Amino acid sequence: MTRVILLLAALTAFLLPLVWTALASVGVLPDNSTTPPSWKGPLTLAHFTEIGIAEPAFWQELATSTASAVCAAALTVCVSFLGAYGLARSHFRAGRLLTQGFLVLASLPVMAYIVPLSDLVRRAHLSDTFAGVVLAEAAVTAPLAVFVLHGALALLSPEWEEAAVLDGAGLFRVLGQVVLPLVAPSVAATAIVLFVIDWNLLLVPLVLTSGQVKTVPVGMSDFFTFERELDWPTAAAALIVSLAPLALLVGLFHRLLESFRLDASNGRDIG
Amino acid sequence: MRLTRRDRIVLFAPLAMLLGGWLVVPAALGLFATFTTYSPFTTTIQLAGFANYAAVVQDPQFGAAIRNIAVFTTLAVPLELAVGFGIAYLLRRPMKGRALWRVLLLAPWLVSPIAGGVMWHFLFGGATGILDFAGGWLRLPDVASPIGDLRFALLAAIAVEVWRMAPFVSFLLLPGMLSIPKERWEEATLAGASRIQQIRHVAIPELRTLLLTVGMLLVGLSFGAFDTILILTGGGPGTATLTPALYSYGRAFQTNDWPVGAASGWLIAAGVIAVGVVYIRLARDRRTR
Repeated sequence: MTRVILLLAALTAFLLPLVWTALASVGVLPDNSTTPPSWKGPLTLAHFTEIGIAEPAFWQELATSTASAVCAAALTVCVSFLGAYGLARSHFRAGRLLTQGFLVLASLPVMAYIVPLSDLVRRAHLSDTFAGVVLAEAAVTAPLAVFVLHGALALLSPEWEEAAVLDGAGLFRVLGQVVLPLVAPSVAATAIVLFVIDWNLLLVPLVLTSGQVKTVPVGMSDFFTFERELDWPTAAAALIVSLAPLALLVGLFHRLLESFRLDASNGRDIG
Repeated sequence: MRLTRRDRIVLFAPLAMLLGGWLVVPAALGLFATFTTYSPFTTTIQLAGFANYAAVVQDPQFGAAIRNIAVFTTLAVPLELAVGFGIAYLLRRPMKGRALWRVLLLAPWLVSPIAGGVMWHFLFGGATGILDFAGGWLRLPDVASPIGDLRFALLAAIAVEVWRMAPFVSFLLLPGMLSIPKERWEEATLAGASRIQQIRHVAIPELRTLLLTVGMLLVGLSFGAFDTILILTGGGPGTATLTPALYSYGRAFQTNDWPVGAASGWLIAAGVIAVGVVYIRLARDRRTR
């Protein structure tokens, strides 16, 4: 019983700020000038239409965010899956060190290398392009994907693959018909987590673009850097709209996400 | 399967190109450039030795940023781990609707760091906020927003970070908690272990590597703290919430002091790599023993 009470308390504490925001987005606002404080405002959906007035490009930004996060997550998963499989089956002597190295790389803040990266991207004539943003986002999240997918792949017994090889299957048939079906839930869960991370990245699109390609986080940073006075209900509506795609995705696939393990072969002595 | 040379090239080449071209090579070229006067806007380049680093280290603003990030990390990371661990521990036994609990707990992490900044800017604020609302019920005088207060601004930034990440930590720890064999809990109960002893002698040792891994990611996240604070306080008031990442961004892209921005960026990397070495050592210990 104490367990349920404690969990309820935690859930309330963590979700209350979001509930507060959701209420504001439909016009229900606190009135802190009365004693005791009360609520004011009729229910309205008008604030959602005001988003387009406060930030005319908002809906365009939402589309750009979605497209770039989908492309980056897909690219990262493909590239990292190949690399992680190679690592899991190579039996390098320093294999464990290498995967840990990927985790340290995953922990490296973007700020540590975005300054020179922005210069190189400009010289490659990729600044302010969709491809530039997608490739940079894919690279930022690839080390984490390699670490996670390696954990799942290292647990697989190689026997199935050996049997397919005896039947004459090449690398891609083994990967597509034997390996991938066995780890599909982990791969899909990883893709969802990567999508969320990519969608929420700020520094990469902020530094590598200058207006042509604009994601939602960059749009949000504008409000304050240009010191435009922003109305709370409108901001709340924009926050709720930008949260909706992620909430929908995670809600739909929550069963899959249960198979997300940061380090699946954790603690076990696997090569 | 046994990989041929060709297989290996096919498997590793895409990853090497992606990470090489977009992360390792830029970082390495950037490191090289920090020992010169190179900037994208100058035509003459001279060797500068450690001059850029000296400029960063002697800058009192950077000193303030380092102090802030030290406080930020030592408070935020243990709190995130402790709260996340606590929630995962509470969720370890099957209960009605556990799947739903887990999804709901992911919600704060779905809010992007920058959206979190926008949101808390208003939630901390007087006219629209939670704090003043709660204060009003308790008949307290008007509660001023902590983000404008020298004493509380950094604590407010830490609170937002913990709010966003602690539930996600529980999401990452729960699978490990669930994979602890039932017998281990039962043995502990039979031996008369209290709850605290159970946590100390069963849960923490079993989750050791996972906790280290999550801890490493959290430390990296703290060292790079940028998005939320950019919106919440912009580093202020004064330098109360300035972080190395904000400093680096400001120098490189706002005051066009490119070499100093790149050098301070590399100092962040050096900090993360130093923690990374400790992480690798600690996470290996157990295998060799």
